[in-house]
Amino acid sequence: MISKSRLTAFAAVLLVGVVSVVAAGCGSSSDDTGSTGASGGGEVLTVGSDIPYPPFEQGKSGSYTGFDIDLMEAIAGKIGRTAEFQDTSFETIFRDVAQGKFDAVISAATITPEREKAVAFSNPYYLSEQAVLVKEGSDIKSLEDLSGTTVGVQQGTTGQELAKEEADASEVRPYPEGPDAVNALKAGTVEAVIIDAPVAANAVEKSGGIEIAEKVPTEEEYGIALAQDETELLDEINQGLKEVQEDGTYTKIYEKWFKLEPPKAIFSASEAAE
Amino acid sequence: MSEFFHQYFDFHIMGAHFSEVLEGFFKNLLLFAIVVVLALVWGLVLALIRQLPGKKLMPLRGLTIAYIDVLRAIPLLIIILLISGGVPYLEFIPKDIRIPNWFGQPDPFWFGVLALTLVYGAYMAEVYRAGIEAVQSGQMEAARSLGMSHSQAMRHVIVPQAVTKIPAPMLNEMISLLKDTTLVSVVALGESVLVGREVLAETFNSSAVMLAGLMFLVITLPAARLVDKLIARNQSKIARGSHIEVG
Amino acid sequence: MSEAMVRLEKINKRFGALEVLKGVDLEVAKGEVVCILGPSGSGKSTLLRCVNLLEPPEQGEIFLEGHDICRGPGSGTGEQSWELDFVRQRVGMVFQQFNLFPHKTVMENVTLAPRQVLGKSKAECEEKAKALLERVGLADKLDQYPERLSGGQQQRVAIARALAMEPHVMLFDEVTSALDPELVKEVLDTMRELAAEGMTMLVVTHELGFAREVGDQIVFMDGGVIVEQGKPTDVLDNPREERTKKFLGLVLER
Repeated sequence: MISKSRLTAFAAVLLVGVVSVVAAGCGSSSDDTGSTGASGGGEVLTVGSDIPYPPFEQGKSGSYTGFDIDLMEAIAGKIGRTAEFQDTSFETIFRDVAQGKFDAVISAATITPEREKAVAFSNPYYLSEQAVLVKEGSDIKSLEDLSGTTVGVQQGTTGQELAKEEADASEVRPYPEGPDAVNALKAGTVEAVIIDAPVAANAVEKSGGIEIAEKVPTEEEYGIALAQDETELLDEINQGLKEVQEDGTYTKIYEKWFKLEPPKAIFSASEAAE
Repeated sequence: MSEFFHQYFDFHIMGAHFSEVLEGFFKNLLLFAIVVVLALVWGLVLALIRQLPGKKLMPLRGLTIAYIDVLRAIPLLIIILLISGGVPYLEFIPKDIRIPNWFGQPDPFWFGVLALTLVYGAYMAEVYRAGIEAVQSGQMEAARSLGMSHSQAMRHVIVPQAVTKIPAPMLNEMISLLKDTTLVSVVALGESVLVGREVLAETFNSSAVMLAGLMFLVITLPAARLVDKLIARNQSKIARGSHIEVG
Repeated sequence: MSEAMVRLEKINKRFGALEVLKGVDLEVAKGEVVCILGPSGSGKSTLLRCVNLLEPPEQGEIFLEGHDICRGPGSGTGEQSWELDFVRQRVGMVFQQFNLFPHKTVMENVTLAPRQVLGKSKAECEEKAKALLERVGLADKLDQYPERLSGGQQQRVAIARALAMEPHVMLFDEVTSALDPELVKEVLDTMRELAAEGMTMLVVTHELGFAREVGDQIVFMDGGVIVEQGKPTDVLDNPREERTKKFLGLVLER
């Protein structure tokens, strides 16, 4: 039964894919807005995000919250749009925004040269650190202690690269979602998890029994991703981000979600990039 | 159209990652091979318990029926998540068993074995039951009237006939099982779909996932043909059987 | 007076709301052949199946060679294993639909129960089976599967299979009803020989000729009770009861 329904779902996805590709191929005019779920008007801004990824994105459909969500709503407000969020898978998120499935993506996504080949990024809106998350009282105190251990990560994230390249782990387990990796840590099937620091901090606060062994600065910058030909929208979003930072909304949102002052560097980062 | 083919059938990407995906697929096959044996045995045990006679064994039968119904009613994905997330907490079980790492396979593999066996045991129990119930009641009566016990009759008369009636539905379950081994990717087992998705995360191209799908096709398509053949053969057998009855 | 081979006392059997047997008494002496006649639904087959506890009666007593097989706790449930073992190793049964094991050869059909239940050696069982199959005229079919045999041959194998357990009583439940007319005689001949050898037999049948010739006692059942019983010459030729007359009239018209 299960496999049948999965097959049906797969067929449906395939069909939708084929139809949309065919439609795109046949259509003579390429539609710039290309948003799904939003009908007409320039009002709605469709935003893709891989939810949950607390505290960046969390909550139920229709009432998503989180740092990314609040920030995106604030930016959308500045540019006269209403953000409408769609939960999606991180693996395909850049492809989908490039193909016009969403107008924009905000999903704690690190700006990398590789990703920039596929999509355009806004100015950085967040500077990230990775954290090595372990069980309370673990012998693992730093990245170096991960030698020979089993490390959980979220599939397709910077943490996975770090675990593979920096930590000499004997096994790296890529889980589909961050919370799955944290669950595995709590259950004891992995000895450490390398994951974005805010996610780690949130997990420590919410679940207990785990702690952050070490924070690893990555000089990673998060950006909002758009299709490469959406230059106008990109400018608008950058302007919106700047305004949100200048009027103090950014700091409020940051403190609400991370219980910390935002690093000064983030303001200069978004300035410098202009 | 070409974009579609590039996204799903990029032969360059398929070629570059072929050995990785194949290695993952071998993991699917290994998982399948172990589970199919365990589930065939476990399913038969469940089906036999369900057929036990007498009022005294009513609670045991009820428990078995509840097990079969519940495990078939819950999505397999949830069972996999429950077992891999839950079993390690059972501290009364020695650590080497609760977080198994045997024969070079990590714990997600063995959690997958357990989850798939529990669920497919229930599915296969239903297939066995259909086979047992398809054996004419006169067979049990004849065996019992000859002094055989219920278990002797089951073992020598009913089950040998029941299993000849179910190869097609059983093979269908096996095809489903092989495909469902991919679900263990949710607990980070490096099987073919997970490997394909790693490549997707790296290249933003789905061809490696498609490649995994093609590997499944190589096995499941001939198996599906075989199911059809078995069904056809069984039907001609039934036709012949009824002819004998009439003639 | 010697103990009867089978004695039934006030046997009651119901299937849900339907009372199939309503207080049946019957006595069968050793070596006696009792033929049970009656319209369908009269309860005659159920009575037969009560004797070997395939359908355990709700009420009443069944004595087999003097043992009360329905006695003890759970009386009437037929679940105690000692009763089942005691009964089924002494009572053989042959069915309307033969019920041979289709996945076993003729030889295996006959040897399966003695080997599994009595724990006899393969050689011993096969020797015995050969003798029995020779007796029913099927010595050349040992390695055949049942589906290759005619209905009459299958039924003779079924008789041999039951005899292999060395029963003291044989039950025959309409054993010729599923057979083509030309195959009936070979089965009845086998039963005739068996009767002549002194086997105690309870035979549910529609074959009046056989009943008249072989039966020591005729029992006519209707509506879950024995309507009339006695010697063949009495019951078949001079029935006293109206229901018996009517039934015999209908059967003879066929």
